Amino acid sequence: MNKLINYRILGISLLAVSLLVPVYVNSVHAQKVSINGAGATFPFPLIDTWRTEYQKVNPDVNLNYASIGSGGGIKQFTEKTVDFGASDAPLSETEFQKAGSAVHIPETLGSVVLAYNIPEVTTPLKLTGPVIADIFLGKITKWDDPKIKELNPDVTLPSENIVTVHRSDGSGTTYVFTDYLSKVSPEWNQTVGKGKSVQWPVGIGAPGNEGVAASIQGTPNTIGYVELAYALTTQMNFAAVQNQEGNFITPSVNSTMAAVSAETSTLPSGSESWSNVTITDPPGPDSYPISSFSYLLLYKDLSTNPTIDEQKAKAITEFVEWAVTDGQQFAESLGYVPLPQSVVDVNEATLKSLTFNGNPILTN
Amino acid sequence: MIKDNRTKDYKSIIQERVAKNSFKRKVFNNFMTVLLFVFVIIAIIPLASILFEVFKNGVGALSFEFLFSPPGAFGSGEGGIGPAIQGTLIVVGLASLIGAPVGVLAGVYLSEYSSSSRSFAYFLRLFNDVLTGIPSIVIGITGYIALVLTLGSFSIMAGAFVLSIIMIPIIARVSEETLKLVPNTLREAAYGLGLPKWKVVWHIVIKGSKSGISTGIVLAVSRVAGETAPLIMTILGTSLFFSGFNSPVDALPLRIWRLASQPYPEAHEQGWGAALVLILLILALSVALRMFAQKRSTFKSTT
Repeated sequence: MNKLINYRILGISLLAVSLLVPVYVNSVHAQKVSINGAGATFPFPLIDTWRTEYQKVNPDVNLNYASIGSGGGIKQFTEKTVDFGASDAPLSETEFQKAGSAVHIPETLGSVVLAYNIPEVTTPLKLTGPVIADIFLGKITKWDDPKIKELNPDVTLPSENIVTVHRSDGSGTTYVFTDYLSKVSPEWNQTVGKGKSVQWPVGIGAPGNEGVAASIQGTPNTIGYVELAYALTTQMNFAAVQNQEGNFITPSVNSTMAAVSAETSTLPSGSESWSNVTITDPPGPDSYPISSFSYLLLYKDLSTNPTIDEQKAKAITEFVEWAVTDGQQFAESLGYVPLPQSVVDVNEATLKSLTFNGNPILTN
Repeated sequence: MIKDNRTKDYKSIIQERVAKNSFKRKVFNNFMTVLLFVFVIIAIIPLASILFEVFKNGVGALSFEFLFSPPGAFGSGEGGIGPAIQGTLIVVGLASLIGAPVGVLAGVYLSEYSSSSRSFAYFLRLFNDVLTGIPSIVIGITGYIALVLTLGSFSIMAGAFVLSIIMIPIIARVSEETLKLVPNTLREAAYGLGLPKWKVVWHIVIKGSKSGISTGIVLAVSRVAGETAPLIMTILGTSLFFSGFNSPVDALPLRIWRLASQPYPEAHEQGWGAALVLILLILALSVALRMFAQKRSTFKSTT
């Protein structure tokens, strides 16, 4: 009989503990606001740094960001299952119409680099836009192709097949990359075009910037496109790309900044459509040609999403304001470009125009 | 004399033949024993090497901080998998709270109450088996459309719901088979004592097959604890601890997947650590449940 009672007590206490742990944790977090976002993998290293840093600034707000790709970010934002979306591609005209009253808040700038894994080659390769397009079209299949050799006379290239790696999910990085290729290669423009996901003629697919980076690292003789931060943190080799003026530019924070300052004079306001905004293939002797804004997506009136209450709306707006101002200090060390003042001004105006049930959220 | 000699001859001939035959048989017997043993070893190799590999790579990641703190910034290799462990426990616990009663009671119906409507029971079994075979990602998408989109957020409830749907057919099937094993004489004896049907089912049939039913529950729990696909569609994953029933949570399989797809060696080590934790968790759970059920049923049988 004692044994039976013992087991009953054990069972009941186990059950009680398993039920109480969440209740306890819940009560600890009860005063906290959780902001849920999802989308682009391109700015994920930066946003994830913001998550830990913003805890120090405002311990009552938890940020939760899932890097599921820009395509997923736009979808979940439009379905209102998350509080904010993130995408490196601006909403297209149809997506913008479907979302209703969305605002774009560029939160950082980054560049897309051509990362490669050729065990024999350690010096940086030089590539031009048309050659990159030919590689991804499957027209250049060997690393020692004359077109690549001509650009890199000092490098001994192996006679191996080129394996291209591209994104398998809907991706803003893909959008930026194909946007660039469409500008520099008429053939690319006609056969493949630009978009968050396109019909790749050749190559293997991998999910997310993480996945592409991991695939390149794990497979010899591969080339793929990832955000600069992923190439820097994983110590991959990446190519210098020829810009409009004929110079070969190594992607870096400075060369991306040069590209941005050449193109930011004519930005729309936050609540207008940004579908035509692009900073790929910019003028300027020092501009790296493949770079992009990354956007946070919010509704102009935050109550459009029924799961957002007034307290949360305030928390979201304050977080975004922090991110586009103080949060920019973390950008450079991760390989992102801090927003130029002109873009911060656009963002400040956008944030001031945000409302909840028609009332402005930021009072000052 | 002669007769005697003859019988001796026969005896020796038979003995000879038997000895000859039995030598063949012995060789064949030994050969088959060795062969079977080899196949057992071959069957165990994958399991053993998986356990060995996970343990070898994962044990280095384990620490107090790893088990209880939220993940650090992307690629930093800091922090841990606290929210994932907590999320898995809560989601699987809630899924069992929904799935176990429904599954067991469905098994009870099929075994004890379906004799009056055989064709209905036939279709029930058929659909139950079909449900077992549906890929979990499809169940995940169903949960996304039915719960995430209608409730408006990724949530722990949606995750528990889809996992319980995966659990129900497994539990129902195993429960039905175990209940059928209870000897009919026991039921008859109970009826003979004048017990009503529900008492017979509850006190005799279910209590008598408790260890079998709990085996079914353990099977289902370990199956869903390792599910990733339906959870991507329903709980999304997060870096935060549980913060309410209508917000995203994390789970171990999701965290392993995320860590494994990062291009950093530190993240891979954490991924191995998380895999080790998941395996140990399932192991502990099944051992505990099995011991619990067995101890209780042996106690019952001695009274």
